[in-house]
Formats: sequence, C-alpha cells, structure tokens
Amino acid sequence: MEGSDRKKVIIIPCSGIGKAFGSISRDATYEVTENLRKDNTQTLCLALLVSGDEDSIRLVRDNKCITVDGCPLQCAEKNVKLAGGNLAGSLRVVDAYKENRHLKPRSVTFLDPDGQQMALKLAERIAEKVDGLLEDQ
Amino acid sequence: MGEAQEKKVGIISCSGEDCVEGTISRVATRQALGKLRPDETVTICLPLFLAGGREEREFARDYPTITVDGCDKMCAKVATERYSGKPASTIVVTDVLKNLHCPKLSSRRKLNNEALAVTEKVAEKIAEEVDEVLKHWV
Amino acid sequence: MSEYLRTIFDKFELQVRKGFYYTRDDLWVSVENGKAKVGVSDYLQKTSGDVAFVEVAKPGSTVERGKEFGTMESAKTTVELLSPLSGTLQEVNNNLSGKPELVNSDPYGDGWIVVISPLNLEGDRSSLLSAEEYYTLMLGKLQSEHGKLESR
Repeated sequence: MEGSDRKKVIIIPCSGIGKAFGSISRDATYEVTENLRKDNTQTLCLALLVSGDEDSIRLVRDNKCITVDGCPLQCAEKNVKLAGGNLAGSLRVVDAYKENRHLKPRSVTFLDPDGQQMALKLAERIAEKVDGLLEDQ
Repeated sequence: MGEAQEKKVGIISCSGEDCVEGTISRVATRQALGKLRPDETVTICLPLFLAGGREEREFARDYPTITVDGCDKMCAKVATERYSGKPASTIVVTDVLKNLHCPKLSSRRKLNNEALAVTEKVAEKIAEEVDEVLKHWV
Repeated sequence: MSEYLRTIFDKFELQVRKGFYYTRDDLWVSVENGKAKVGVSDYLQKTSGDVAFVEVAKPGSTVERGKEFGTMESAKTTVELLSPLSGTLQEVNNNLSGKPELVNSDPYGDGWIVVISPLNLEGDRSSLLSAEEYYTLMLGKLQSEHGKLESR
C-alpha cells in the first residue's frame, strides 16, 4: 500500500449489479477515493476479500473500514464483518435517497443524472464519516 | 423446479472495484443481460451470492452459469464453484484484452472509448457463451 | 402443506399467502376478530423495489373501498395504496417509518401496513379475490410484464 505508514480508511461498496443503488454505491466510493479524500482513503474488491485474499484481509483488519450498501440486505457490511474487518461505519444508499427524494435514479449500467447526483450526495456523507474517523486516530 | 425448466443462464460477474477490468466485467454483463440476450439470461448479484442470498445460490445451483471476471484472481468463478457448482463457462477480461493487444484503457470509474470497445467485445463473448450453453442444454 | 402458493420467475420466488384475500391492485387483506389487516403482496413489493417510505392516513381516518389511503415509495416508483374496504383506519404499522424495508423482507408478516375496522365486511369481501384467484392474476401479470422484476 502506498505511504504504508499512514493509515487509510478503506471504503468498500457492495457494487450490487441488479439495482441502480448498487451502481451508486460504487460511484460514490470512487468519488471519495479518487477525489474528495483521495489521500486518506482507498477501496478494495469485496469479492476478493470474501475469497480469502490475504492482502485484502490484512488491509481491512489493520485499517478502519466504511461499507456502502445499495440495499437493506447490506452485503458489504455482512461480508466485511465475516472477514473480521475493522468496521467503523456503515452507510446505505437508501439513506441518501431519503434525504433527496426528488432524485429518481433509474439506470443501472451507466448512472443517469439523478444517479450521479445521488452518488455525489452520498460521497459527501462518506467523506464526513472519513473525517470523523481520521480525527479519532 | 416445475414441469419444463425454462432455459435460462445465470451470469455472475465480478465488479472488481480496484481495476478498470472489473468495471468492464460489470458493464459487459449488464449489456449482455439487457440488450444482447435479455430473454435467456439472469444476473446473479455477486455480493448477495457471497453473503448467502438464497435465490442467488439456488439459481446458480439449478441452472447453468457463466462467470465473468476482471482478472485472473477469478473471484466470481471461485465463489460459484464454492457455493453452487462449476460454471458452464468462464470469461476473464484480461484474457480478452490480450487478444486485443492491450489498448490503452481508462480509469476504473468512467470507461473511455477504448474501454467501451473492449466492453462490447466482452458482452459479445458472453452472448456467444450463452448461445453455446443453451445449444447443449439437456 | 405450505402456507403459500409459489412460482419462480427468473431467479425470484414469488409467494401468495393462502387464506388471505387480495385486490387486483396487489394488496392483501387478512381478517382477524372482525378487523382487516392490510399489506402489499410479494409481487408488488418485488416489482416496486426497495421501499423507502410508506405514508398513510392517520388512525381514526375514514377510508373508502377503491380510494387512496396512502402511498408506498421507492426510488423506482410511487404506488398509490387503494383501500380494499370501507371503514375506519384503526391502526398504522409505525415500525415502517424507521424500517420501511420490512415491506420487502416480510410483506405478509411484519411488513403489514394498516388495520381497518370495516363498515361492511361481508359486502366488501365479496369483491376481493381468493389467494388462488390472485395467484392466477399474478401469473398473468408476470407473463405480460416480463423483465419488470429487474432493472434493465
């Protein structure tokens, strides 16, 4: 991991493929890790973690993690817990939707404007959470 | 499952958040599902599958599956074999890229034209594999 | 014997609870001690997507058969909830304000929406569908609305 002495917050989206909210979880994660908090965060492949990849497991155990789930089934949260990850926060796309009811994302494959907007709103929430966790460190 | 099992193929894709090939895998699967073979395919949500989703695992156990992975770690294939059974076919995006002589790809978040072209090729490959699986359906 | 009539559509299992009554708009009614508990069918929750809001009239409100008594909202759609009976709205499932996902996870149980004290139970009941009749209706909807269960 780059800058390996500095702890990062790991953001793990569910990336659920069947729903727009899954795509939003993914895009919001990228907005945080590539833009809003790019020096302090990174993401990893959820499936790789669950498959038992040692580097991934070490990463989630050694760093604070925030999961971002697209639906109430909360697969990212469940799977990170199962892997023994240091789960410091769980966000759900539906909670961002509840605060932005006018946004009606429809498209799953490529986010439509409402989906992009919701991803940005969610990314802001994630970034706030990251800031809180970094202050505690 | 019923008198005559409807012919469907389950597509299980990785969504590898860490690399552009994961994004390609995801988008290609959705294109195959939504445009190329909408009546013959069902997508299996991999995180739900991993977390124990009953409908996902039962479908993958009872119907033929095709896994689509971004890289040679093949998380979708590994998970399918572990929880439901050997997939009928496997596709790895990095293998498809080798045959295309590695065009310069974009970020993992937004696919550039080269990446979109690769995605179409992968989607077509998925469709071909679906046809092949259905041809041999017993 | 199973409590449900079931069918498989794509990878989804759709259930119709036996012993309940149903409307053509995919609501169920369960009569207990002269009161009617009302919710949405498995088919409706599945096609609506993840429910984010359920908003209904207050307890004490008068409801009329076939008229709206509330709405159920997801990112995908907003569904008007049309009352299966005329009467007084007696009770509202307050759990749904904090956990609207109960409608998705347990549509025939913890995801119930309201309880109505009916004005004319027998009269209104005659216009409702049995579980078997609703099951047939649901199969027809699935046939004609193929692909609706998953976003394309």
